[in-house]
Amino acid sequence: MKLGSVGYLFKQGLRNIWVNRIMSLASFCILMVSLLLIGFTVLFIININMFIGSVENKNEVIIFLEDDVTDTQIEQMGVKLKNMPNVSESVFYSKDEAFEDLKAQMTDAEFAFTYIEDSPLPDAYRIKVRNIDDMDGTLNEINRMEGIFSVKAPNDFVNILIGMKSFVSVLSAMVMTALVVVCLVIISNTMRASVDMRRREISIMRLVGATAAFIKIPFLAEGVAMGVLAGAAAIVITGAGYSEVAKMFGADISMWSPMGISGLIPLKDIFMPMTAGYILAGAAISAAGTVMSTSKYVKV
Amino acid sequence: MIELRNVSVVYPNGAEALKDVSLKINDGEFVFIVGGSGAGKSTLIKLLLKEISPNEGLVLVNGFNLNNLKKNKAHKLRRKIGFVFQDFKLINSMTAEENVAFVLRSIDAPVKWIRNRVPYVLSLVGLKDKVKRYPGELSGGEQQRVAMARALVNDPMLIIADEPTGNLDPTTSWEIIDLLQEINRCGTTVLMVTHEHEFVRHFGGRTIKINEGRVVFDDYI
Repeated sequence: MKLGSVGYLFKQGLRNIWVNRIMSLASFCILMVSLLLIGFTVLFIININMFIGSVENKNEVIIFLEDDVTDTQIEQMGVKLKNMPNVSESVFYSKDEAFEDLKAQMTDAEFAFTYIEDSPLPDAYRIKVRNIDDMDGTLNEINRMEGIFSVKAPNDFVNILIGMKSFVSVLSAMVMTALVVVCLVIISNTMRASVDMRRREISIMRLVGATAAFIKIPFLAEGVAMGVLAGAAAIVITGAGYSEVAKMFGADISMWSPMGISGLIPLKDIFMPMTAGYILAGAAISAAGTVMSTSKYVKV
Repeated sequence: MIELRNVSVVYPNGAEALKDVSLKINDGEFVFIVGGSGAGKSTLIKLLLKEISPNEGLVLVNGFNLNNLKKNKAHKLRRKIGFVFQDFKLINSMTAEENVAFVLRSIDAPVKWIRNRVPYVLSLVGLKDKVKRYPGELSGGEQQRVAMARALVNDPMLIIADEPTGNLDPTTSWEIIDLLQEINRCGTTVLMVTHEHEFVRHFGGRTIKINEGRVVFDDYI
């Protein structure tokens, strides 16, 4: 097929949007609503995951060291901890610092500390893990190191968080699958109705000797254009809606800040992937739906 | 040009549409196909356009053996045939010239050729001033002329006209058949299906009568 013919067919496709404007409008609305449903669900899921991630970052494991460890051993331990892949942060917390902090916390028992000159507390490392799912492995590795007195890990917190993460993952997968299936069924029915109305046109094209590709390309162009338009509309609506929700959420942030949450993911951080997702998903779903519906009638 | 050898067509519901039909139509002939409703005329047309395949027998059209022609290659055959139907079969969202040009577009004809050829063919059928009109803005006779221009534009060796006058008033019907006769005089084979015996008696020529799926008459009137 010549390039000029491809251009002609694409122009025909775009023109058909206007010629069949009622059905085009129906397809556009169905596509846009479907994209919005899926888009908002994705945004909800990634924000929930971000919240869980923020809480996850609050985990802290305290490694108490034996009394007789030397400064060299402490340094070596620090290096080992930093090199562990699941350790995101490690800070040495000396027994003197711990003692000073204890004194600061127990101001009403100041007299008790006057008789204690040296800190009775052990040196320690405070670490944070990257992935709490691997917490057990990390703790085992730490326990194997020499000079460790004990390790204090927030086991209850970790178990709750792991449970929440797996619940959210399973729920998201189920909701997304159901949504995508429902949307695909609705979209393909709309596309089929739209193509059904034009089966006479398709049969005439076949009769005058047009190839299947020649008949399908305008439908493909029409589908892609409709998908892009619906995607663009979904971007505008999502952008506006998300900003409003983020503003409402941000106004009451004091409730969430103790958990390390600073509000929804900013729109600017997700705008590019969201735009690409909407446009590509819109174009792909719409084009596939249109071409599949057309194939039925293009067969001789 | 067209040859059917012992062709039988049975539809999935068991109806026998054509029974052991054999006929041969040579290049440049003008042939009337007549017969009552359900005689098998439309089945014959569908066979020739490769819309259906025979259950038995051989169909040859314009050098194509339709028994061996794959369905996804049917466009190669159809590009060499012009057709005119009772219901005009025009694309309503396209103007007269776009309907005609579509045939040339579909064979990747050069744009310059399309720009020259389409107005020329439309002027041949007397629609020079109505090229920008949509089918809905044209009378029945004018729509049939657009269909004839579309059938002619690719200079086919065969034109199949299936009841082309069925939806037209008598005066326009005569004009359309005159036009088909004129096309035939230029060397194009014309196969015209009709149930109006008046035309057959008036124009004469080879006439094939089909009754209950069989050729019961094939001679010159």
